[in-house]
Amino acid sequence: MRQVNSRFVAGRLLQVVPTVAAILLTGFVLVHLAPGDPVLVLAGEHGDAAYYAFMRHRFGLDESLPRQLIVWLGHILRGDFGFSYVYGRATSVVILERVPATMLLTGSALVISLLVAIPLGAIAATRPHGARDIGISALALGLYSTPAFWIGQLAIIGLALGLGSFPVQGMTSAGSDATGWSHSWDIVRHLMLPALVLASQEIAVLVRVTRSTLLDELSREHVRAARAKGLTALQALVRHALPRALLPVVTIVGARIGHLIAGAAVVEIIFGWPGMGRLLLGALQSRDTPILLGLFFVVSFTVVLASLLADLAYAAIDPRIRLR
Amino acid sequence: MSRSAQCWRWIGCTLTVMIVACTRDADRRDPATLVVALAGDPGQLNPAITTNGSVNTAASLLYDGLVALDDSLHPTPALAERWEIENGGARYRFHLRRGVRWHDGVTFTAADVKFTFDQLLLRFHARTRASLGPSLASVDAPDDSTVVFNFRRPYAPLLQQLDVSEAPIVPKHLYEKGDPLRNPVNIAPVGTGPFKFASYTPHNEIRYVANRDYFRGAPALSAVVLRIIPDNDTQVAALEAGEVDWLYSVPGPARQRLAANPRVHVIHTSMSLGGSNCISTLGFNLDRPWARDLRVRQAIAHAVNRPQFVERVSFGEGRAADAPISSGIAFAHASDLTVPVYDTVAAAHLLDAGGWTRRDSDVRTAHGVTGVPDGTLFTIGFKGMPGQMVYGDLLRAQLRSVGIDVRLEPLESAVFADAVFTARDFDTAIGSYCNGTDPEIGVRRMYVSSSIAPVPFSNMAGYRNPIMDALFDSAGAAMNLDERRRLYHQIQSLAVHDQPYVWLVETTNTQAYSARCHGFSGTAHFAATAECGR
Repeated sequence: MRQVNSRFVAGRLLQVVPTVAAILLTGFVLVHLAPGDPVLVLAGEHGDAAYYAFMRHRFGLDESLPRQLIVWLGHILRGDFGFSYVYGRATSVVILERVPATMLLTGSALVISLLVAIPLGAIAATRPHGARDIGISALALGLYSTPAFWIGQLAIIGLALGLGSFPVQGMTSAGSDATGWSHSWDIVRHLMLPALVLASQEIAVLVRVTRSTLLDELSREHVRAARAKGLTALQALVRHALPRALLPVVTIVGARIGHLIAGAAVVEIIFGWPGMGRLLLGALQSRDTPILLGLFFVVSFTVVLASLLADLAYAAIDPRIRLR
Repeated sequence: MSRSAQCWRWIGCTLTVMIVACTRDADRRDPATLVVALAGDPGQLNPAITTNGSVNTAASLLYDGLVALDDSLHPTPALAERWEIENGGARYRFHLRRGVRWHDGVTFTAADVKFTFDQLLLRFHARTRASLGPSLASVDAPDDSTVVFNFRRPYAPLLQQLDVSEAPIVPKHLYEKGDPLRNPVNIAPVGTGPFKFASYTPHNEIRYVANRDYFRGAPALSAVVLRIIPDNDTQVAALEAGEVDWLYSVPGPARQRLAANPRVHVIHTSMSLGGSNCISTLGFNLDRPWARDLRVRQAIAHAVNRPQFVERVSFGEGRAADAPISSGIAFAHASDLTVPVYDTVAAAHLLDAGGWTRRDSDVRTAHGVTGVPDGTLFTIGFKGMPGQMVYGDLLRAQLRSVGIDVRLEPLESAVFADAVFTARDFDTAIGSYCNGTDPEIGVRRMYVSSSIAPVPFSNMAGYRNPIMDALFDSAGAAMNLDERRRLYHQIQSLAVHDQPYVWLVETTNTQAYSARCHGFSGTAHFAATAECGR
């Protein structure tokens, strides 16, 4: 990483602060402008006016909006995201409990999609418009245009119920007391189907990007020179064309982290995976503002961080790029 | 052989190994464990501080009420062994069972009951607070095994409101310090019920183990695992795959498939997550000028084909509602009312008489309707929550045939509550009104003028009639069942006459369970008597 300048990193990290602050502020205003009252949702049927007033006061919702914003900002600066209305526990605790499951799911999906998409894209590019290219491109286009919730349902009906090869839902077997390796294996079994479904969307995008950039590279002079000095087509592809073709792939991966988290929300709900996406949906429905804003923070921070990491990776892969 | 062919072979091998390795190994779960699917993470397990349906469902097995309600909703002894009603219904004296212990070993006493009512139920439980609060003067504990409820006036439905789903009793010794909403005991609860809390993994599962010392006898099951599975279809797939043994509610489209599955049994019940004895009800906003004309409301009631709603919306389950009070509350339901029947000719006459005439267009227009400019098209909005918009689709088709255009306005539940009950910005709306076990619990709120309030599922129509208010007050205070029956009959005749609502379908809920289990009861402690084998 000799090309990476520490001043560049510090500068980019400083940019993270106003970006995240702006996102949080927008989030606060949007959540409060949206119709729907958390106290009504909390009380459900049969409340009375006195109950609502009592609960509003407890949550500080009887204050004016600017006052609520100031109080909230003060708490955020001290790292306090408040108490969830629904869970009655600290927002940070409720969110952090969910982070590992979502990271495991999105991380595995990302790895799977890279491992599958790059070879597939490369195979497609070696003989453009050949049978394999047409097959792979059609598959990519098909996956790209199919919503995750439908693929998820099909996967459950076909692979989990039909073949009986995968569990239908959850992260562990019900009531399982397994520890150590058998526990890890249990999680892996449960992880495979949701991770594959989530990865399918990324595979669709990455195959197409890999194929088109690789096609560009393969027609260049340096690849022809490599062939001329005696390398096989495969050697020329792997050593000379692929590394350069992967640069845009890195950028795309960095930019798609937000997509991946959004897709995870859908997949988590279908497969009963205990991550942040489900928390987000529940918090939205119950207008649990502290949880919503806490999740906005975590997600926006992750996305901003991911694009920074993509920039750094870019510099590490491509010696021509210097970051200042 | 080319490299790429080799590559394909590798991919093929890896997939095969993955599938073979994953193939479901024989279930190593203890067969006496019941796995239950739960749609939402309850977040906490103290049902005394919330009316949230998923908290109630998840936590009921841990607690008891003073009384229990049997399958036919009759009060039977639970934490209270027996009771006396004194002062013409203004005082209830409960004698508590002795020797009951909390799951942590501390002895249960009358002080726990008084504390639960005073500090939790009457403050934080919106339903108990709203129903008991105004009439209850005090809850007293004269000694360790006696509890006395003193009312300001005779109060008939108390016993229906003391079971575990309405008034669970929680331990005073764990809740008397600090803020009950943020008490850590809420996620490591201690009750007196048939099952004891074992562990809670947020958004994944909650585990209970049998309470071997349960005062009504130890349950046959050794453990209950509540799995949190938000998607309905995934719940059904999990039951079919044997990963789950019990579903509280089966979505309509899956009912037939499950009924045909020999490894699954289904039960139809009037109990649902939202409450019991629910009626899907169309409400008119009586603040709207067009809706003030009784003839127009009657016309719409005539244009509605209720059996079609049962068939197409409820998948043939439930029954067409024939009275304002559900047939599930047998003593109060009036079966001999003349509710408007499906008759588009009568509907057309009534609309003509009300000034809504059909000239050249398909949709009627106003001519001399009070508060509506002449020539206004008869277009009305229909607001509902996403799950209920199927009612709107059918209503739109049915009303179209008499010249009324319905505009569908689906709203997310939090927004629905705001738009309909707070802002009162709607023409018509659909609500599932659960009548509960007594008309005082779930029917009164729809008709009395005092419940025209920004409260979800209160008096949606904005209906006010002083005679109705007086009838409900008498019915709530009458202690004699025949007297109450007579008053509720009058109430229903008046409601049908004034037609602030159109009662569409008495919905039922379908529950399903694995054929390896049996013995479930229709009560809140549904699993206390169940057994599961291999």
